[in-house]
Amino acid sequence: MEMAYLAAGLGAGITAIGAGVGIGIIGKGAMEATARQPEATSEIRTSMLISAAFIEGVALFGQVVCFILAIK
Amino acid sequence: MTPTKSLYLTILLFVTSFTTVLAASAEENSKQVDVLDKLSNHYYLDFKPVGKIELPRIFWDEDGVSMYMSSTNALESGKYVDTYYETAGLPTEDYPVSYDLVRADGTPLKIDMSLSSHLLYFWFAGFILLALAIPLARRYSSGVGRDTEPKGTFQNMMEVFIVFVRDEIALANIGPKKYKKFTPYLITAFFMILIMNMFGLVPWGVSSTADVTVTAALAVTTFLLTQLNGSKDHWRHVFWFPGVPAWIRVILTPVEIIGLFTKPFSLTIRLFANMASGKVLIYSIIGLIFIFSGLFGDGVAYGTSWIWVLFALFIYLIKTVVAFLQAYIFTMLSALFIGMAVEEHEHHHDHEHEHVHTA
Repeated sequence: MEMAYLAAGLGAGITAIGAGVGIGIIGKGAMEATARQPEATSEIRTSMLISAAFIEGVALFGQVVCFILAIK
Repeated sequence: MTPTKSLYLTILLFVTSFTTVLAASAEENSKQVDVLDKLSNHYYLDFKPVGKIELPRIFWDEDGVSMYMSSTNALESGKYVDTYYETAGLPTEDYPVSYDLVRADGTPLKIDMSLSSHLLYFWFAGFILLALAIPLARRYSSGVGRDTEPKGTFQNMMEVFIVFVRDEIALANIGPKKYKKFTPYLITAFFMILIMNMFGLVPWGVSSTADVTVTAALAVTTFLLTQLNGSKDHWRHVFWFPGVPAWIRVILTPVEIIGLFTKPFSLTIRLFANMASGKVLIYSIIGLIFIFSGLFGDGVAYGTSWIWVLFALFIYLIKTVVAFLQAYIFTMLSALFIGMAVEEHEHHHDHEHEHVHTA
């Protein structure tokens, strides 16, 4: 039972790392793109949010698994 | 910042800190905050220091449909018993009614149709949406805003959102040919989710979107709308992907079929997890006051409470942003999925360049 808590904690941390790296890369790409083409800012922001939402979705799947492990 | 303003801010901060600690020490018998209990659906509306309102219970069981004005009434009728604390091995007398009712004679409940807090706040959100939309629709049908400029703060404010959803979400993702058909749904979904999210920010409010069943229902609506309006090309992409060798389709078709269902699933989980995690975060930070008062006594809790109140305020601001952002993202992704499904390809030979895969 304690191992489930450990797994949940570790898993939550690892998903956070993954999501952080992924969203960081998107943010980097979006900022570079905005710096190059400031007139396309709104379109870049839209596609940035969409891709961030997809990464977030995968990360949240992981978090839900950890949550289920922790409240089991 | 002027001295008067900073004085007001300091007073406000201290008042909020002290009331939080007072609320913390009011729960003297348990120094724990049950975060999961705050997240879950209840058969009462909690107005904590004032009291709580029990909601009507409706059961469908052996005796047919029976209605009670509250859980207490249902218990008093003798047909139902509260077995939650017995099964959990806890002494019953220390705790209030758990609202976890079963039939006294052991026969199963067919359906428990009782009103619950999440359902009720979903309805509240619906009423607010109607109260906003009907006067607005009247105004537009009478010509204000179409023949003339929109009048007043209310109409101007709503028109910003509506035009945003129409132009930036529906038109941008579905395309100029078919976006008009889906704009009403997208606007409704946007405002409904936004209002439900906002309910989580008002005192005693419950955000129904922090319930996985509500978000699942919303995602199922999007799913049905997507599939029922799917073009011929959409179904061809699912079952007979064009432009790839035949044996790859053996792998690709199951993946595409799974892909149909992961989209609403991720919509469900995204909205639910975002709203629920905001709640958990605020309760965890406020819970630090409880933990400090348990570890070091009330003095330390009073002294440090302003730190946690500031943190909670910060999370609160983030939650406000998230409330808008998640309404936007849900609507945006719904529009994207609908747009992908209704899209009809002109060139049937080079699909693979324009087909975007999303999970």
